[in-house]
Amino acid sequence: MKRRQFVIMAAGSAVGTLVLPKLAFAAEGTIDWYTSSDTNILDFWTNHVKPGFEAANPGITLNLVDAGDGSGQLAILDRARAAMQTGTDPQADYFETGDPHLPVGAIDEGLYVNFAEAGLENWSRVNPLAMDTDYALPYRGSQVLLAYDTTKLPVADAPKTWEALVAWIKANPGQFIYNRPDKGGSGSNFVRRAILEANGRDTSKFTVDNYSAEAAEAMLNPAWDILADLAPSLFDNGAYTSGNTQSVQLLSQSAVTMIPVWSDQALQALANGVLPETTGLVQLTDLALPGGFSRSLVLENGTNRDMSIKLADYLLSEEIQSKVLTELGGFPGVSWDYVSSDLRERYADIIPTTIPTFPSGEWEVAVNDGWYRAVAPNVDRNA
Amino acid sequence: MRREPRPKRSQYSMTEHTAATVSVAGTRRGRKYAGLFLVAIPVFLVAWMVIWPILTAIPRSLMQVGTDGSTSFSFANYQFFFSDRYSLNNLTVTLWTTMVCAALLLVICLPLALYLRFTSNRIAAFVQSLAIFPMFVPSIILSYAFIRVLGPNGTVDLLLNGVGLPRIRSPYLTPWGPVIGLVWDNIPLTVLILVSGLGAVSNATIEAARDVGARRLAILWHIILPRITNSILVAISFGVLGIFSSFTLPYVLGPAAPEMMGPFMQRTFRDLQNPPMAITQAVITFAFCIVFGLFYIRSVAKNRTP
Repeated sequence: MKRRQFVIMAAGSAVGTLVLPKLAFAAEGTIDWYTSSDTNILDFWTNHVKPGFEAANPGITLNLVDAGDGSGQLAILDRARAAMQTGTDPQADYFETGDPHLPVGAIDEGLYVNFAEAGLENWSRVNPLAMDTDYALPYRGSQVLLAYDTTKLPVADAPKTWEALVAWIKANPGQFIYNRPDKGGSGSNFVRRAILEANGRDTSKFTVDNYSAEAAEAMLNPAWDILADLAPSLFDNGAYTSGNTQSVQLLSQSAVTMIPVWSDQALQALANGVLPETTGLVQLTDLALPGGFSRSLVLENGTNRDMSIKLADYLLSEEIQSKVLTELGGFPGVSWDYVSSDLRERYADIIPTTIPTFPSGEWEVAVNDGWYRAVAPNVDRNA
Repeated sequence: MRREPRPKRSQYSMTEHTAATVSVAGTRRGRKYAGLFLVAIPVFLVAWMVIWPILTAIPRSLMQVGTDGSTSFSFANYQFFFSDRYSLNNLTVTLWTTMVCAALLLVICLPLALYLRFTSNRIAAFVQSLAIFPMFVPSIILSYAFIRVLGPNGTVDLLLNGVGLPRIRSPYLTPWGPVIGLVWDNIPLTVLILVSGLGAVSNATIEAARDVGARRLAILWHIILPRITNSILVAISFGVLGIFSSFTLPYVLGPAAPEMMGPFMQRTFRDLQNPPMAITQAVITFAFCIVFGLFYIRSVAKNRTP
């Protein structure tokens, strides 16, 4: 019995120690990397960027951490900013994608590395279309498209304007679904496209610092009317999936005919056979569905600042930028001249000419709250 | 173990019982400290990670931060919650889901537990392992399997279509989606608690009742049920506590609105970046859960007094 008692006690203490939060300190040579993107991006880093970078730079390792979603990552950035003010270790170095305008004022306080001054070899390669500020490094782009089942909707009849799309959804009730705007970019950019439609398709009306409650009411309410009007014609009289993947699943189960989808996710799903070959992709021509470039951020106060800059430079190399196209199905952050010519021809149809964008921050919060209150309910699902 | 109606506490009294039969006094004292040591870690963790956050949450939900950063005492958060149709709908759907799940769990698990208690053959052993199986399936996997099977054009639809029947109205993305998932997920715990409670019903009592001509229903009503009321209460309060605060299943399978308190709190906290409101929702959730927690504590306490 004594032995058994000992085993139980030892196991108990061991479990207890495991449960206690670890006191972590950032290690020299281990870049603490965070992402708020989907698993396909994390897989890309795990399978391509991390092995390639670690092989080229012995002694440096990448610690890839999934921060969940945008707000999860913002909490880590808030912590890094607080750490800068107190001069302590932020325990983070590199953010796969983020908006340097957040937390508000972070650029002025010097939280982020200025890439133009950091001495990157490849900085000049960045596509001018993708350039936003010198504090964020665009390395991949993607855009929301419409994916549809060509066996039910012939390619020639696919809607190419917002008006045609709305007409199609209403003429084919139950055949369209988008996800809740806070649960994935495909649904949120569909919602943002409706917001832009309600505001004269003018993307310049929304900036990261022009939010006010009155403006939101005036500019968002008409969009809620558009979306609430669509709701009865959606799948199951107004159902909304809880993520990009679930929408793709419904399209692949042939439960719906059309969904909004990320270009990279759609191309990957097609390549893996998750979506059948008969899936068509179409973009609206009056104003494309929004999307954007994913821009990496490096913390000025991170323990591994210089190594992270090296990583950022590596990201813009031809090796990784070609893989962004072939492995990720995204479009490169560098100008197309820096991608091999055969790839340029092969992917000609996804080369974007414009990508409408929509600010994050307070606008995003207003969109998320407003949609749940004005669009998601108020529908008699059993009608 | 079988004779104990209280599965959670039974090992404690068993330890005491065995300890009494051991004659060496020193061993007994050592055993006592070992017990305290074993219980110290969970108690400490609960105090630190559950009780303390609750205690700090209550004052924070009653605090109102002014535009100049000053704080003042106010019921504004609660006033908002209880006057906001949207929040109240979410609370109502949570209560509805919990009640429906609890009722379904009882209806499904009681016959199952009775069968397992009074049958001992190979099939019963197989049924038992099937009933426990959901315990080992993570809820995120369950959710996606659910979409595949009960979702639109899922396996059930394909089978129905194969024999020429119309498709089902899929519960996916309706309030029934989480109900089905949560009931399935909670079957093992409920069955285990009920089976252990049924251990308190001795075969002799039932045989005696049978000898005087009691029918099956009469035995169930007059002999079995009075002896396991406690276990039923415990099983239901455990189920209810878990379901009330569930997250994954309502998040993936439920409708966008109304949403259950779990996804609602998470969304308020992260997507709406409104921690004070999320804390208020959490305190309201504690308040409801505490009622069911008290049921559990009361029945345990009642059983402990000799």
